[in-house]
Amino acid sequence: MRTYELMMITRGALDEPAVQQVVQRFTKVIADRGGDVQRVDHWGKRAFAYEIDHMTEGYYTVVDFTADGPGLLELERQLRLADEIVRHKVVRPAARVKRRPTPTPASP
Amino acid sequence: MPRDRDRDRKPKRKEDFFAANKVEYIDYKDVALLRRFISDRGKIRSARVTGTSPQYQRLLSEAIKNAREMALLPYSTR
Repeated sequence: MRTYELMMITRGALDEPAVQQVVQRFTKVIADRGGDVQRVDHWGKRAFAYEIDHMTEGYYTVVDFTADGPGLLELERQLRLADEIVRHKVVRPAARVKRRPTPTPASP
Repeated sequence: MPRDRDRDRKPKRKEDFFAANKVEYIDYKDVALLRRFISDRGKIRSARVTGTSPQYQRLLSEAIKNAREMALLPYSTR
């Protein structure tokens, strides 16, 4: 099990309750696969920095969760298939933390 | 001669923002921070301009590219 951070963009044409439903659908996918949803940060509607498929805005949601390899694959597969999802990205912040130089042990 | 002295002086090293603040992780979601490291055309500012160390410049460019993929930052303007 590893900790991941998912950002998903849901179509801007939907209304807020519909978006919440979509988000819940995917947090359920995580939970069903034995993962733990730690935090759901819903940003709400936000304008895109550039046009995506003739859309100019979307709902941004950030989810912190844990999952195993197959669980993550399944989640991403479903995100790719879902028409309501414009884009998604999974990162592992812990893997990108700049490691502090380990203090050199005192001379023998 | 003042001119000769100018030529001998080592150029002052710009301060690396990330090293100065002991940043451990450059978050691609922090658009306000990333914006300070892109030009008004949306291009990534070079490390020579911003004083960012090579290690941080790599993490920074990665963060900016992630932000671009999620339409948080533009790829280019104009």
